[in-house]
Amino acid sequence: MDDLYREIILDRYENPQNRGVIKGGREAKEANLMCGDKLKITVKIEKGVIKDAKFEGGGCAISMAGVDLLLDKIKGMKLAEVKKMSGSEIEKMMGVELTAARKRCAYLGLEVLKKL
Amino acid sequence: MRIKREFEVFGKNKNLSYLDSGASCLKPKSVVKKLLEYYREYPVNIHRGVYEMSSKASEEYEKSREMVAEFIGAKEKEEIVFTAGTTEGINMVARGMEKRFKKGDEVLVTELEHHSNLVPWQELVRRKGGKIKYIKIDKKFKLNISDLDKLVSKKTKFLALTQVSNVVGSVNDIEKIVSIVKKINPEILVVVDGAQAVGHMGVDVQKLGVDFYAFSGHKMYGPVGVGVLYGKKKLLEEMEPSTFGGGMISEVGREVSAWARVPEKFEAGSRAIAEVVAMQEAVAFLKKKGFCWEIERELIKRLSVRLGEIEEVRVFSALESGILSFTVLGVHSHDVAEILSRRGVAVRSGHHCAQVLHKVMGVESSVRVSLGIYNEEKDVDKVVEGVKEALKIFKK
Repeated sequence: MDDLYREIILDRYENPQNRGVIKGGREAKEANLMCGDKLKITVKIEKGVIKDAKFEGGGCAISMAGVDLLLDKIKGMKLAEVKKMSGSEIEKMMGVELTAARKRCAYLGLEVLKKL
Repeated sequence: MRIKREFEVFGKNKNLSYLDSGASCLKPKSVVKKLLEYYREYPVNIHRGVYEMSSKASEEYEKSREMVAEFIGAKEKEEIVFTAGTTEGINMVARGMEKRFKKGDEVLVTELEHHSNLVPWQELVRRKGGKIKYIKIDKKFKLNISDLDKLVSKKTKFLALTQVSNVVGSVNDIEKIVSIVKKINPEILVVVDGAQAVGHMGVDVQKLGVDFYAFSGHKMYGPVGVGVLYGKKKLLEEMEPSTFGGGMISEVGREVSAWARVPEKFEAGSRAIAEVVAMQEAVAFLKKKGFCWEIERELIKRLSVRLGEIEEVRVFSALESGILSFTVLGVHSHDVAEILSRRGVAVRSGHHCAQVLHKVMGVESSVRVSLGIYNEEKDVDKVVEGVKEALKIFKK
């Protein structure tokens, strides 16, 4: 078993659960400066709580799996709480330890959410 | 490989296959030694010190200028301006020569350009009101030189182009291009990005016929933080400085000041003295070892053939120098680079500061292999093995 490219990461990369756009939702986007990949996230918020979240864009396995898992996690959370999340929580979720370069890929989703 | 002994970094990283020289070449021991020589023996400021140590530092600094001038075939050493790197040099020209650019004028660039030789021109055009035009590339990543007749006119004030593409390795025939465009418009100024050329092939700015030629120290086995802008003396005299302050003046009054002569007027403030001094050793290293572009090109051809045998791989290279980029279907370039990294293979992934070119290539990002004097067959072969491994991981 590959340490970094674990089943959960490759599976989420190939079969993302949260891909798409929420019409009428709040949106934010950001590009990964290393490769130019763009990521857009739309969320549906009711009474300050995130009811649904989806993403659109391309990227490496780490960034795509990272955002897909992150969106699972934030459903039901308050936006204010999400904005307080740290990158290390994403690594924990993914079950991997990343090099500095790949942290930028993995944290991209959170950076976008913080712009909401 | 004998040459590796001259690079300290291989001592602790015996398994390293460094294929990222396009981003920065490794630095030989002689360059590092010279850097330290400054800090150990004459670590003081240059020019206006009368004491012996300062005069030694000044001498070493100016010796670098002489050696670089001779190295690239400049007519005189005053034509060599020390900068922070290629990007700064090109920005200095785009700013300093903007008087020549009137509303409605044009800058001609190519689809191969690194952002450093594109964005400064976009800014010039935005400031003054004008147009950017592109020399397109063909399927083999070669410039369509036959379009020059249509693209160049009296309105074209600058032609900004690279000598060697940092993504697909095309080697542009600068001499020929200069002669064509100057025939149509003798006033056009040709600004060449030589970052990927000087460390790999002999450059003679007079033979090339260029007006300005910019490059970086660390892409020719020299220190990071120093670069060179060559300009024809008359043009440097015409060019306005864009950084003002100490060291670049002849006289300062309460309201206005007068500039020093070329090249001092472009070297304001305290400079990266150690780095400039160590450029001597980068030049000496290249002169002693000779240029290795033909060897690099042959290695790239080998890599291209082998990668070409893998169905999922698309190769982007003119196969004219030591640079090749590729994509792997189903595996993002970052993931390929990550998997290669575990085998000790250092490559770059992303758009390599050439997003316009990547649009033409039809991909967002790619993996780039760029060679240096320390590379051999086993380095490029490790890339092929790594790509196969990446496919295995992702195609389970």
